[in-house]
Formats: sequence, C-alpha cells, structure tokens
Amino acid sequence: MATAEAQIHPAVQRSLLVGYRLPLRRFLIGSVIGHVALFGAISAATYFQLGPRIDLNQQPIKASLVRLGKPPDPKLLPRIQPQQEAQKPPEPEPRKPEQPKAVAPTPEPKAVSIGPTPKKPPEQSPADRRKQLLTALNRTSRSTGSKTAQQIEEMEGQLDGDPNGDSATQEGERYYGLLKAQVQRNYDVSQTIPEQERLHLKARVIVLIGRTGEVLKVQLASSSGNTLFDGSVLAAVKKASPFAPPPDHLRDALQRRGIALEFRP
Amino acid sequence: MIKPRLFLRVSGLGWFLVAAVAEAQVPVLEISGANFRPMPLAVAAPQAQDPKAKVKAAEFDATLLFDLSASGIFQVLDRKSFLADRNEGVTASSINFARWANVGADGLVKTELSSEGDLLRADLHFFTVGTGKEQFKLTHSTPERDVRKLAHILADGVYRGLTREPGPFQSHLAYVRKTAQGKEVYVSDWDGKNGQVMNSGGPNVLNVLPALLPDGSGVAFTTYRTGKPMIFVQRFGSPAAPLVKSDHMATGIAFSPDGKRIAYSLASAESTQIWVAQADGSGPKQLTDTPYFINTSPSWAPDGKRIAFVSNQGGSPQIYVMNTDGSGVRRLTFQGNYNQTPDWSPRGDLIAFTARDERRAFDLFTVNVDTGKITRLTQDQGDNEEPAFSPNGRLIIFSSGRTGTSRLFVMSSDGSNQLPLPMESGTYSTPDWGR
Repeated sequence: MATAEAQIHPAVQRSLLVGYRLPLRRFLIGSVIGHVALFGAISAATYFQLGPRIDLNQQPIKASLVRLGKPPDPKLLPRIQPQQEAQKPPEPEPRKPEQPKAVAPTPEPKAVSIGPTPKKPPEQSPADRRKQLLTALNRTSRSTGSKTAQQIEEMEGQLDGDPNGDSATQEGERYYGLLKAQVQRNYDVSQTIPEQERLHLKARVIVLIGRTGEVLKVQLASSSGNTLFDGSVLAAVKKASPFAPPPDHLRDALQRRGIALEFRP
Repeated sequence: MIKPRLFLRVSGLGWFLVAAVAEAQVPVLEISGANFRPMPLAVAAPQAQDPKAKVKAAEFDATLLFDLSASGIFQVLDRKSFLADRNEGVTASSINFARWANVGADGLVKTELSSEGDLLRADLHFFTVGTGKEQFKLTHSTPERDVRKLAHILADGVYRGLTREPGPFQSHLAYVRKTAQGKEVYVSDWDGKNGQVMNSGGPNVLNVLPALLPDGSGVAFTTYRTGKPMIFVQRFGSPAAPLVKSDHMATGIAFSPDGKRIAYSLASAESTQIWVAQADGSGPKQLTDTPYFINTSPSWAPDGKRIAFVSNQGGSPQIYVMNTDGSGVRRLTFQGNYNQTPDWSPRGDLIAFTARDERRAFDLFTVNVDTGKITRLTQDQGDNEEPAFSPNGRLIIFSSGRTGTSRLFVMSSDGSNQLPLPMESGTYSTPDWGR
C-alpha cells in the first residue's frame, strides 16, 4: 500500500476531486462576487438605458447600395440632366406587353385541353363520368403535396417580395400600390387649368376591374366642377388600363363594387 | 295591416344601411401629383366668309397660330394630321368630334372671318373635344389693316377664357436692331412684328438698352449720340430728349412698375453706382456706394420696393437685391462667376439672368428670390442672353445666337417651348417686354 501511495502522480494529488485544502478559495470567492457584481451592473445598465424598441410588425427595410457619383461643384451653375426623359419611356413599355401575355396564354391552353374532353362525354354513360371524376379527384388529392410544391417552385418570385411570403392583406396593399402607380403615370392634366382653381379641385371616380385586370367601367362619382379636370381624371384611368389581374381575395370585390380613386392635382 | 308596413319600413331602412355599408367598404385610393402638360390643341384654318376677309385670312391665321403656340399652355397640333372635313361647320352640332379626338386634340379652335364695311370681324369658338361642347365664343372687330391686332385680341381672349389670367399678346416689345448705320431701337408688337424705329440721332449712332415706358407711351434708352452714353426718352410722335442729366456716363434705365420712378447707373472713372430718380429725371439719389466696384443693370421688383442689380463687389459679377433706399443689400447668386442682366418677374418670385458657365457659354437661368435656388433655362443652344419677362410673368423673350446671328426667341418661364419670333432676318438684341 505504501508503495502504491508513493506511486500516485503528483497531478492526481492536486485534483479537486481529492479533498485537500485549497489556497485559491478566496480568489474563487472574490471572482464569484466580482462576476455577480458585473452581471448586476450590466443588467441594471440595460434596464435603465433601454435601447430602441424592436417593432415586430416592422416591414422589412430595403436598402440598396448606390454608387456615388462625383458630387457637383457647389460653385458651378446647374445643368439640365437629360435622364428624366431617358428614364420615363422604358417604364410603360415593359409593363404593357406583360399584361396581355398574362391574360392571353392562360385561356388558350385550357381551351386546348378542354377541347378533346367534350368529344368523349357523349360516348360515356353518366356512371363512367362519375368514375372518371372520382379517379381524377383521387389523383389530385394524392399528388397535391408534390404538385403544389412544384407550382411554388415554378412561380417566379417578386423582386421586392418577402422571403417568408406575404399575407393576403399585404398582397392587396401591393396590388393597390401598383394600381395607384399605374394611374399616376398617366395622370396628365391640362396646363390651362387656372392655378387658383387647382387648389380646390377634387374628383372621385369608381372603377370596376375585371378578373384579368381590364377596366370594366369607369364612372365619375363626384365631379370636381371643372370639365377639363374631370376629363383628365377619366382619361388617366382609361390610359392606365389594363391593370394586372387582381389577387384572388380582391377579385370579386373589384368586379362588383370596384375601387374609388380620389384625384387631386 | 300594420305589420307589412312596419316590415317595409324596416326593410327600406335595412337596404339603406346595406347600401351605406357597401359604399363605405369600397376602398379609396388617393391620387395626387398630376403632370401638368400643355393642352393638345387643334386650330382649324379660319373660314373666310367673303373675298375681303379671304385676303386677310392668312395673316390672321399665322398671327393667331403663333400666339397660341408660344403661350406655353397649348401644344398646337400640326394641321397635316387633321382628319376632319375642311368645310366642317363651326357649331358643336356640325363638328365630328371623334375625328378631332383621333388626332389627339383635347381642345379645338374654329374661327370665322367676315368683313363689315371697313371692319374685319372674327368669331372664335373654343370647343372641348372630350365633351363635344363649346366652352366659349369670342367676337371682335377691328379696322382691316389691324388684322394682326385682331388675332392678338382673340389669342388673349382664349388665354383668359381658360386660365382666367391676362394674356400677353397685346403687349409690346422694344429691342435693338443692328443696321448699316449703327444700332437702332425699335418698338413692335409682342411678336416682333409691326416694328417701328425710334429716333436714331444720326448715322453711326449706337442706341442700346431700351426700356418701354410703363404707360406704353414710348421708350427710354441709352444713346451714344454725343460720344458718351446718355439716357434719352422718346414718346411716340415726339423727338427724343435727354432724361437723365449728369456729367457722368448714364446707362441701363429701368422704370418702376408704377412708372413714377427710374433707376439707372452712373459711371465715373473709378466706379459705377446705381441711382434712382423721379420718372422725369428729377430728384436723383445715389443708392449704392461701393468705391472701385461696378453696380449696374437695375431691375425693379413688381411691388416697387426692391431693386435687383449686378455688382462685382464680391470679386465677380453677381446678382444682388436691395431696398429702394439702398439699404438691405443682399447677394442672391453664389453659383457661376459671371452673372448679369437680371430681370425681375412680374409675378415676383423669380429673377431671370444671363450667366456664363464653366464651358464659357452664355445661358439663361432663374433664381428664386426667397430660396436662392438657381434653375437653368437654356443649354447647349449657342449663346442665350438678356431675358425679359412678359407682363404676366409666364413667358420670357431673349436673344440667342443659336442660328448664327443674334435673334429673338420666346419661351415659357421654365425654359420649355423655345420658339424664334417671326421677325424678318436681321441681328436683334436686348429685348424689353412691356405693356
């Protein structure tokens, strides 16, 4: 035994598992007290000096890096920038072709796929049809999971979209924003309207929008009292048509009740 | 009996409520920030009712067409694009408005010319194409020889009929024309037509910097007829006479808007200072007092309480403003190093001026009197100088060398719609636009 004790490594003898007196104890106690005090101080500081609150409903803030040009010399006279003219024309051009595309192709393939089906029914009995429908229903219900996933993959995302997807109301807001921007681009008013009168002009228009985004009806709900201004407002909506197809949850409302546009110069 | 009635009442109220709720549920989008654009206007060729009127029709037409084109509120459409029948009537019921709408017109002007003895009568109809309605009708007669005046009167009528502001087309222009003899002061209609030369004072004499008298009775100008520059005034039908009596060199006269006072500069060997006096030249008073510096080109504010001028007291010629007693001198321009010929807009908010930019081109700018913001009006079109606001402050006439020689152009006060005045060829400069 004595030999075995004598053979124990000095490191094992110093192990904390072995009960022996530690000369570092007061340092440990000091350290604990110090940590507690530090933690207390930090939590007290954060309690009294609250940082900016995090708004969980905050919409994502989009930031983009812009290359800064050479700042103009403040002593030089200004120059007319031709950019304004160059920027304007491309905007309406790509949009207009998009909408007919979105409208036109959808009914066409359907018409083709439906085409052959009407030929079959006369040959089949109602029972067969029911069977066919049931099998079709089963097929779709089985493959819904995979199909929707495919559809989602195929759908192109919006550049400014939320990666987690938008809620229905946000989509509606976005649609209204697009609609407003499209009307605003075509909101040309005659310069002949007297300046004093411009301050008081206000016209309201009700617009009914169809499923494909076409304007079904434009009606002056309240006149501004100035025929030129009323005409410009109606022309702005007509020139802006067609709009993008409305989102599902707005489709009925826009078709039946429409949307009111309140114009001021 | 009572129950159905009550039911009807309740149901009526119910329907009303449903309708109100439905109305309230319609989302409302507020749209503002309209793009104000000139109205596309079709001006049909005038229809002459008799041979006498037919002779005058072309001149009437050209005058009216230029006035409306230069107004800045219309985009006058090219007649070549018109689809309507040439013999189409001048009443709303006889006009095929769809044809006018198809060429992009929002407004339509139709005129009839007829002679009544020695008078020429014009009937002008203004239609809104969208509604197919006649918005207003103007009728006026003038002696046959005043056919241009007749057109100007009707153009002013159209301008006022739409904007409810006075049009500038019956106003007058003074300018300098270079001739074989020297430089002569002319007074003409606003468009430079019907020019009338003022007293030249002999051959090889320079008469420059004209200023129309606010009451329209004549013009004052700087003349070198005695060798040194002097300010003379000349009323129509009277000979020219000295207005400012001084031993110093007097240049650049400007009348206060009420016509009661004048401002000008007097140059001595070492400096040039701005003075004011009564309209007849009496009671002169020195306003600026900056020895060794040049203060020149005064222009009155529309309220007559301030004067804009050019001074090099900051090292380079810049636009300054001061009160009419010489107090409150304030530098207005801090961009560019050669700013001159200020003209205060009759609307009060802007001062137009000529500046030489870093490319050494002379161009026109406006500076906002309150904010000091400078806006460029002309660019890359030769040298453009000496702006003069129209009496309603909406247009500017200026001289431009863009076609080789210096000629007079008109544009909107924002620099758009720059058109040459329909004057015969020649070298023209320093326009002044007055009543």
